[in-house]
Amino acid sequence: MSRLITRAAVLAAAAFLVLGPLASLGVWSLAERWTAGSPWPQRFGLKYWSRMLTGDFLEPLRLGLVIALIVTALALVLAIPLGYALARLAFPGRALVLLTFLMPQAFPQLPVFASATREFYRFGLAGTLGGVVLVHLVGALVFAVWTMTAVFRALAPELEEAAWNLGASTTRTFFSVALPLATPGVAASAVLVFLYSLDEFTGTLLVGAPFVTTLPVYMYTASQGYELQIASVTALVLILPGAVLLLALDRFLKSEYLAFFGQL
Amino acid sequence: MVGVVFVWPLAVSVAASFTRAGVPTLGNYTTVWRLYLRDVGYTLAVSAAGTALTFALAIVVCGWLRVRAFAPVEFLLKVPLFVPFVVVGHALRVFLVPWAPALAGSWGGLVLALAWKHLGLAALLLVGAFRAVDESHLEAARNFGAGTARLTRDVLVPMSAPSLAVSAVLIFSSMLASFSIPLMMSRGGGAQMLMIDVYYRFGQHGDFETAAALGVVGYLMAMGAALVYLQRLAPVKRP
Repeated sequence: MSRLITRAAVLAAAAFLVLGPLASLGVWSLAERWTAGSPWPQRFGLKYWSRMLTGDFLEPLRLGLVIALIVTALALVLAIPLGYALARLAFPGRALVLLTFLMPQAFPQLPVFASATREFYRFGLAGTLGGVVLVHLVGALVFAVWTMTAVFRALAPELEEAAWNLGASTTRTFFSVALPLATPGVAASAVLVFLYSLDEFTGTLLVGAPFVTTLPVYMYTASQGYELQIASVTALVLILPGAVLLLALDRFLKSEYLAFFGQL
Repeated sequence: MVGVVFVWPLAVSVAASFTRAGVPTLGNYTTVWRLYLRDVGYTLAVSAAGTALTFALAIVVCGWLRVRAFAPVEFLLKVPLFVPFVVVGHALRVFLVPWAPALAGSWGGLVLALAWKHLGLAALLLVGAFRAVDESHLEAARNFGAGTARLTRDVLVPMSAPSLAVSAVLIFSSMLASFSIPLMMSRGGGAQMLMIDVYYRFGQHGDFETAAALGVVGYLMAMGAALVYLQRLAPVKRP
């Protein structure tokens, strides 16, 4: 009995702490009138949700999706061969390449992106779609290269060796043996990269300004203008793909896999 | 690609931090020392408090989860992993503004937001590390009458200390470099996080050289954290 009460108490506390801030986004998105000092909105309504259907909101959404698709395609085209090479071939500088692809995770990104923005100005890339795609590719490749390397490493090498023994070239082996076997891994990597690009804020804010506005940047602008309701509607839309992914991935996202994390 | 769009600008910014209008100088660093020393301290303090809060919560909850598995709570802890940083900043702001206005623009609110976002990663890593502790150790302690709190403090935490240290360093350096959460929490005056200073120095003052010097301070702090990480890594290396 007391165990049941403890469980209920822990669940309630965790639900409040984790879901509270997310629920408050919902309350704000429906608050048509909410004066300072009042603990609850005076009038609820769908006014701000209906603003979603205007160009203000739809254009950043469309642009963000286009950028995410381009970034995902480019990241996979680059990361699949590179990941295969890193997993299977021994070449000089292999460790250095892997380390380079860890750097954007280890270093503060903002000052680097500020510097990149200045370099982009010289080549006319600042404020363009191409510039934003390039800056997204930095983070996207970190995810893509590391996941693809792990995916190819997990394949049994015997299958590829069998293909070589039958006289297939490295290229042929890659396309008819390794790549088909790695398809689920490629799909997972694509989803991660797509979401990363859709949510990317820092690089887009710096490189994209003032012409390229995606939803995260739109949300920031709205919140700076004290349009907290608009920003909350946008925030809820931004959470949606992640929530779907969480529900889909929960079975695969096992803590046990990460037990020896960081111990190489 | 990463070379061109990351390593090159990184090198450019480090080089630029030692020049002003093309002339080599340490002037940018004296500016940092003069104007931003307080913010460096603030950044370190907020990150340390955020890491401490994250782990205080994560250790208690994950220890409890290791001893008595309870899937709904484990699922809830994963939620922050899937919420983008910018959204976390905004969500915590609108969560605190009506119901805890004193916290909303303060360092406490920022610590709370950073801890909220990083709780997901910390819990994922800790539950994994705690599950890797063999059941027989827990059995032995239970036979001596240890409850959940004692099991966590005296068995789980000491036995997974290397993983814990690595996760703490990872989360601490992520908080040091945080930009979108403090930006969305929009603190008007007072001390700022270092990355906010870099952004305003670059964007509003157009002063790339000083921004670059501030950035170098950020790189050094991240490298300091990475060094601790590598040192911790060495003794647990497996053959």
